[in-house]
Amino acid sequence: MNQMTLKQAMTLAVCTSMMWGTAAALDLKGVLKDVVNDQMGDTNKTGQAAPAANASSQDKLANINWKDPSQEDEIAVGRNVTGTILGAVPLVNDAKLQQYVNKVGRWVASQSERTSLPWHFGVIDSSDVNAFAAPGGYVLITKGLYQRLSNEAQLAGVLGHEIAHVVQRHHLKVMQKQALMDAGTSFLKEKISKNKITQRAVSTGAEISARNLDKSAEYEADSMGTVLAARAGYDAYGLAEVLQEMELLPSNDGSVALLFQTHPHPDDRVAQLSLVSGDQIDKISGGKTLENRFYKLK
Amino acid sequence: MIKSSMIKKRLLALLTVFACSSAMAAETGVVLKPDQLRADAFSDAKVVGNVSKNDAVDILNKKGAWLQIKSSGKTGWVRLLTVRRNSASGNNIAGVVGVATGRSGTGKVVSTTGIRGLSAEDLKTAQFNETETKKLESYAVSADEAKKYASSGGLSSQQYPYFLGGAQP
Repeated sequence: MNQMTLKQAMTLAVCTSMMWGTAAALDLKGVLKDVVNDQMGDTNKTGQAAPAANASSQDKLANINWKDPSQEDEIAVGRNVTGTILGAVPLVNDAKLQQYVNKVGRWVASQSERTSLPWHFGVIDSSDVNAFAAPGGYVLITKGLYQRLSNEAQLAGVLGHEIAHVVQRHHLKVMQKQALMDAGTSFLKEKISKNKITQRAVSTGAEISARNLDKSAEYEADSMGTVLAARAGYDAYGLAEVLQEMELLPSNDGSVALLFQTHPHPDDRVAQLSLVSGDQIDKISGGKTLENRFYKLK
Repeated sequence: MIKSSMIKKRLLALLTVFACSSAMAAETGVVLKPDQLRADAFSDAKVVGNVSKNDAVDILNKKGAWLQIKSSGKTGWVRLLTVRRNSASGNNIAGVVGVATGRSGTGKVVSTTGIRGLSAEDLKTAQFNETETKKLESYAVSADEAKKYASSGGLSSQQYPYFLGGAQP
């Protein structure tokens, strides 16, 4: 950790007293901005603090520029978030399934604005009905959701929704806010290293991947995901069909509890998608469903 | 023989009837946007009537992305997104109504019964797993491989703009 200058120390003293009243407001302007800039914006000055068992990936994480993350930063964060979810729930042990989902997902992602990301898709071994996206192109869906799908167009729609979150950096933005806020508060209070701040942001990232997005981000992902699947040549109604099936799931079933906690109710999602797509979706024709080659999971 | 069990287990039935037309238990819905009723489940089928926003309908059948509905005595087919199904299902009415009226998405925690699923807490306390992460990465396919696989299924890239409609009424 670099030495603080006198000016920095004074700045800290000034804003310590106001932090506890206003931290939640996320006001990073003014004096706090200087501190955060010093701490989070310069990737050269920090990061040496990490004693590393797992040097290279730790180093990458320690050097995240939270103010203006590069694509490499984004991928490093997303990899860590994804690995943390996988720490809770491993992949389904079925290489053919995983490869299939990657082929479909990568093709849908190729229709987006971020084709250069190293996209990764996986099915995790949970009977829950849910899917997750993490920054940098990581997408996981649960076995419970996969088993409810009946054709490739539906899979493409679900993956399209998650791809849209990545394209729009929905989760990354939430994590940035958290890291910058944490940088303000914890640095002032405990002189915590940037590495630790990043670790905190990432560890909550796994949870953020499942929640904390506002409703409009979910509706936007439904809308964009539908179009991405249609651009890939699939029937445009895949995601809508899945949402309509979810309308019928009992909400007090444990397998959908997290989904229903973290997303608008499927009723509202169907209604929004209907509204947003208007008659534009009817102009999409000739899409395929490909139920014949849909990989069936036992 | 299959049909009688479908009526009892509507959910299960619905999950298995995507591709083929089949009978469903009486179900109701509400029209979300004005549309034409068609004689069959395809877009150039003969128009047999119209539905207006907020019309109450019975949902009779489902075929792919089409629903067969009955509205004001007329029967016909509309696209999936024309109608919102009224949530329903057997012994869980209270839960469904609770969520519906809470209009969730507001962070409302739905109480759960039965098997506990994956929770936010599970994710918060999870530890990074390098082995599984590497395994995930080993399955990655290139854009070219994906394109080949798409072509083999008859898929090709289409030019559609994102929908222009604004979210949130």
